[in-house]
Amino acid sequence: MTPRAQRELSRQEVLRQDGVLAITRKRPPTPGTDPAANERDEEDVFVAVFDDGSVAAFNGHVDLGTGIRTALAQIVAEELDVRLDAVTMVLGDTERAPDQGPTIASETIQISAVPLRQAAAEARWALLARAAARLGSDALSVSEGVVSAPDGRAVSYGELLQGAREIVPLSGAAPLKPVEAYRIVGKPVPRVDIPAKATGGLTFVHDMRVPGMLHGRVVRPPYSGLDGGAFVGSSLLSVERDSVSHIPGLVDVVVIGDFIGVVAEREEEAARAARDLRVAWKAFSAPASLDDVEQALRLNPSTRRVLKDTGDVDAALAGSAKRLTRTYSWPYQMHGSIGPSCAVADCAEGRLRLWSGTQNPHMLRTALAQLMNMPEARIQITRMEAAGCYGRNCADDVCGDAALLSRAVGRPVRVQLTREQEHLWEPKGSAQLIDVDGGLDMAGGVAAYDFVSRYPSNDAPLLGLLLTGVVPPEPAVLQMGDRTAIPPYDYSAMRIAVEDMAPIVRASWMRGVSSLPSTFAHESYIDECAAEAGVDPVEYRLRYLKDPRAIDLVRAVAERAGWERRTGPRMKGEGDILRGQGFAYALYVHSKFPGYGAAWAAWVAEVEVNKRTGEVTATRIVTGHDAGLMINPDGVRHQVHGNVIQATSRVLKERVSFEKGLVASQEWGGYPILDFREVPEIDVMLMPQPEEPPLGSGESASVPSAAAIANAIFDATGVRFRSVPFTPEVIRAGLQPVVQAEAKRERRRWFAGFGGLAGGMVVAAGAALGWASAMAPAKPPGPDVFSATQIERGRMLAAAGDCAVCHTAPGGAPSTGGLALGTPFGTVWSTNLTPDVETGIGAYSFAAFERAMRQGIARDGRHLYPAFPYTAYTKMTDEDLLALYAYLMAQAPVRSVTPETKLAFPYNIRPLLAGWNLLFHRPGAMEPDPARSAEWNRGNYLVNALGHCGACHTPRNALGAEKGGAATFAGAMVEGWEAPALNALSRAPVPWTEADFFDYLRTGHSPRHGVAAGSMAPVVADLQALPDSDIRAMAHYLASLNPVAENASALATRLEQAAAIAPRQGASEGARLFQGACGACHGGGAQEGPEVVLALNSNVHSDRPDNLLRVILDGIKPPIPGHGEMPGFRDSLSDRQIESLVGFIRTNFAPGRAAWTNLPGSIARIRKASGH
Amino acid sequence: MPAPRDIALMVNGQRHVLQLDPSAPLLLVLRNDLELNGPKYGCGLGECGACTVLLDGKAVRSCVLPVSRAEERQVTTLEGLGTIEAPHSVQAAFIAEQGAQCGYCLNGMIMTTVALLERNPSPSEAQIREALAFNLCRCGTHMEILAAVRRAVAERAA
Repeated sequence: MTPRAQRELSRQEVLRQDGVLAITRKRPPTPGTDPAANERDEEDVFVAVFDDGSVAAFNGHVDLGTGIRTALAQIVAEELDVRLDAVTMVLGDTERAPDQGPTIASETIQISAVPLRQAAAEARWALLARAAARLGSDALSVSEGVVSAPDGRAVSYGELLQGAREIVPLSGAAPLKPVEAYRIVGKPVPRVDIPAKATGGLTFVHDMRVPGMLHGRVVRPPYSGLDGGAFVGSSLLSVERDSVSHIPGLVDVVVIGDFIGVVAEREEEAARAARDLRVAWKAFSAPASLDDVEQALRLNPSTRRVLKDTGDVDAALAGSAKRLTRTYSWPYQMHGSIGPSCAVADCAEGRLRLWSGTQNPHMLRTALAQLMNMPEARIQITRMEAAGCYGRNCADDVCGDAALLSRAVGRPVRVQLTREQEHLWEPKGSAQLIDVDGGLDMAGGVAAYDFVSRYPSNDAPLLGLLLTGVVPPEPAVLQMGDRTAIPPYDYSAMRIAVEDMAPIVRASWMRGVSSLPSTFAHESYIDECAAEAGVDPVEYRLRYLKDPRAIDLVRAVAERAGWERRTGPRMKGEGDILRGQGFAYALYVHSKFPGYGAAWAAWVAEVEVNKRTGEVTATRIVTGHDAGLMINPDGVRHQVHGNVIQATSRVLKERVSFEKGLVASQEWGGYPILDFREVPEIDVMLMPQPEEPPLGSGESASVPSAAAIANAIFDATGVRFRSVPFTPEVIRAGLQPVVQAEAKRERRRWFAGFGGLAGGMVVAAGAALGWASAMAPAKPPGPDVFSATQIERGRMLAAAGDCAVCHTAPGGAPSTGGLALGTPFGTVWSTNLTPDVETGIGAYSFAAFERAMRQGIARDGRHLYPAFPYTAYTKMTDEDLLALYAYLMAQAPVRSVTPETKLAFPYNIRPLLAGWNLLFHRPGAMEPDPARSAEWNRGNYLVNALGHCGACHTPRNALGAEKGGAATFAGAMVEGWEAPALNALSRAPVPWTEADFFDYLRTGHSPRHGVAAGSMAPVVADLQALPDSDIRAMAHYLASLNPVAENASALATRLEQAAAIAPRQGASEGARLFQGACGACHGGGAQEGPEVVLALNSNVHSDRPDNLLRVILDGIKPPIPGHGEMPGFRDSLSDRQIESLVGFIRTNFAPGRAAWTNLPGSIARIRKASGH
Repeated sequence: MPAPRDIALMVNGQRHVLQLDPSAPLLLVLRNDLELNGPKYGCGLGECGACTVLLDGKAVRSCVLPVSRAEERQVTTLEGLGTIEAPHSVQAAFIAEQGAQCGYCLNGMIMTTVALLERNPSPSEAQIREALAFNLCRCGTHMEILAAVRRAVAERAA
């Protein structure tokens, strides 16, 4: 039976139960609400013990993946003297848990657990009082929820509560257990949530399913990541609902101000609708250019707030022996939750039920009440687990989205944000700029420290409130730049000020808030002073530290790490690699000034710097942590590990990129984070302080990160880096300014290529030949006219001839025509090939069919444009033509009127084609070449007659005819795709062999060349109908056009190996984009499947980037499932990012080829063109 | 959108025939039609690995795989490895080493490890890191995850 503590009782229901002891506290009414209108109960329950011995404990904070659920349960079990598994923690549920503010600043254990612990002690006290009465003794002992008297009689908590209902106000007077009596707190305990997560149990909000639930997606405005400016909430011009009306399962398109959402029965339908919905927005311009973030922060209006002013700073500065004026900067960074935010809302009958991954259920409820114009009491938020957030991400925004959509459709709606939306719209961890003016006195001491910080961040109001216009887009100024602004050092003259300012882009708290940048400045500056003074940096710090716990920690960490004393940078190393060791220390002071101190932390970082590539590798981090009493030491250790790794990632790699003032990082290629190969060795030293109060832990460990690494880089190189992140470009720039300047030179040459084909066409000859005669309509042959064998043969021929490829429109029924074929002369529309008498070929006799196929003349006598490859089909045998006719006539007729082809003058004069035919058409069936094998002749026939491969792969002359001679199969452009050369002109780095051609035509994939995509994909799909022998014959014939590859395997291996190294280094933006966006499949990683080695891919080696760009933008839907599916990145990468990426791919994977010119032009052109 | 048709899937040893748009991502079918929680949506681009499942024993990213690709093939999800009462040895190793903070990436870590050990039962440290390089973890659980993989390797050898 389910323990009573695990039944989902609201706090009011708990108080009405029989067999319960509850410890409660009255709460003041919510400020600003009418008590009569506010149905919120005002008695919080902290601990409830039930008569089955189970215990429910309630806390307003939530578990953000930090293990707080486990640690809080330990605290309760300890004070109550029950087994750990008797305790169920209820976190953050607005109907059940107390409002204790947002889960921020690592304060759950330090602050919000305090009343919980007291309540547990209070409950134990009350139970002992009952036991004393029952057992008639005061000398009682408790173990695992059983109270024993000295005479051996015992009674359990459960028994004591039979029939009871005791509500005890939290007095705070109950005695707390002494630390030496602890048996659960302070001991490592496995996390309670991991077994379910490791086996697919229901724990995450993403997994919540409600009966009747629909799926929603939102469409966000184009001002990505901005929540201030007059255009926010008022930029929508129109939404074309018709653009998605064809999507099955679509339930609604909801528009409120700039808020747009779609709801559908199935998630993929909602995703499709969100992608396809046509929306028009007003033009806007971002308020600030963020090309130079430092400058933007300086220009942002601000108000100075002085936090501390001791000594005469100005006099000390004026009198300093050596003035050191420094600026330190931090970039915008992302929380980067691995799971994009998700919520389920059920809004019905004036109530809102919400399943959420929020960090702050009560604060969210207030925002939702405003958004929905609904009393808070009618909103219930159940907090479920979500992906780690490390601060304020989109977890709340998506709740607003779900609530609005559910209200609109009157059914439960689950909204999942996309990766791109999470990246673009999460409130960023703000950039920060710090100016330090100071200097050294004659003795080498710090004469003055004048510190000014700029940090444009606030609490990021719920996005829905801004988009719907409920809240005006005027960003509030919150005082968030003051965390750890005061250095931990006892400088005699010190002035600390913060320039309070509104956000520039949407920004809110992220792990460490402003402490990381502030400490980067404090700890870099003192290191600079130590180096100037010629004093060991650890010794120098100890001169200014007065706090004994800090001094102990600094000494202990230096010793543990094997600190190497020095009086300046040592620049040790060999070859390209320099090695250094750096120190930093911090006491993380969180919350609004003056705030609270959390754990003490110190780092010794060891790095390797490659002075040629600029790569910095963190090789070892030794970190010490003093968090007072540790509830769950294993939990603390894991949190320290996590913070060290995440902070190292932020310091070495992370920076949000902007384009035109808007967030441009939309996925992991554009925002790379540390991966397993880059994780340093980590040695954690947890200071034993069981007698000291427990402090926020983990987050503190991230605070010294940047300075420790910067100081280590200084030790390695002698160069000081004052801007995070320390990417290879930054390091190269610092170490080799001249080389860097050269590398920045832009290459811009204009691409001279395709485009002149349509010019200068003159059709003079043949004009007098006039019209061909019409042929009499025939009655379609009945199904019994042709044999099944003939029809089957015809089916294969139709497949080999790819008839359906051109004669099927996107989304249309097969072979009913209507596909637009772009030619240099205009658009030719394909026709209906089904035997419908009026609109198809139903009136064609065999003779008319044969004339069309061999001479390009329709039944009514019109000349067909040579977009229809009769120049190839003419080579077919009579027997095959008849079989093809048999097959086509055996199909079901479908009425389908296709658009009439209307070319501009003179191409619209169809009789001119007679002249064209005279010049370029050689009618008649193909004669076998007796000098060649039967297989070669069969291949020749399939390739040149039926397959009409040349229609795409042979360039055409100015009159649109395939060129002959050496130009046959020399490659051409078709429908925006490059149909590469099939002969010796091929750019494939390893020549095509018969086996390669066979693989490619049979499966759509050749491991040595690539995947059939674009216009070639449906061709391969059609070829499925042909037997292996025919495919082999085609391969045999095509291979005969190509040079024989000597040692192809060895060549392929060599090319692969040469290309494998560079992407790992991530030395350029392109390389990093490749690692993040492409690496899982193309980077030689663990991902299995039909990976195509890019070093061998024909498209990467081609003279033009078109095919590669098309594939990157729109992905690959391979002809045969199982080979080469690839997602498109059209909505995930900007043109500029694609340029960097493609530039890298070309250089790295086709090193012998010249760089493609005018990539920006090609990218813009191809992005505009729609895919096939 | 391609018209829905009957698609047969073999998931965790059970056969399901569902009317589906063949281009629908396998991930959404597993999560929404079969109500499996293991594979997670992380990026939809095959970058992060949270959606990893095994297709005929090999690790694949179900967010970029059309469901038609899995037709008549063996799909294994986290749920198909073991249960909370009787976890698979790799799941047990992750639980023992506490290889999760938020746990959102955990599915991908476990599935990728299972696939790795299938083809290389005794990977070196470098091979483990290489194999997991494209599975992203934002909490910084890498130390515990690596310990879990080492434990799984050791227990397999024992």
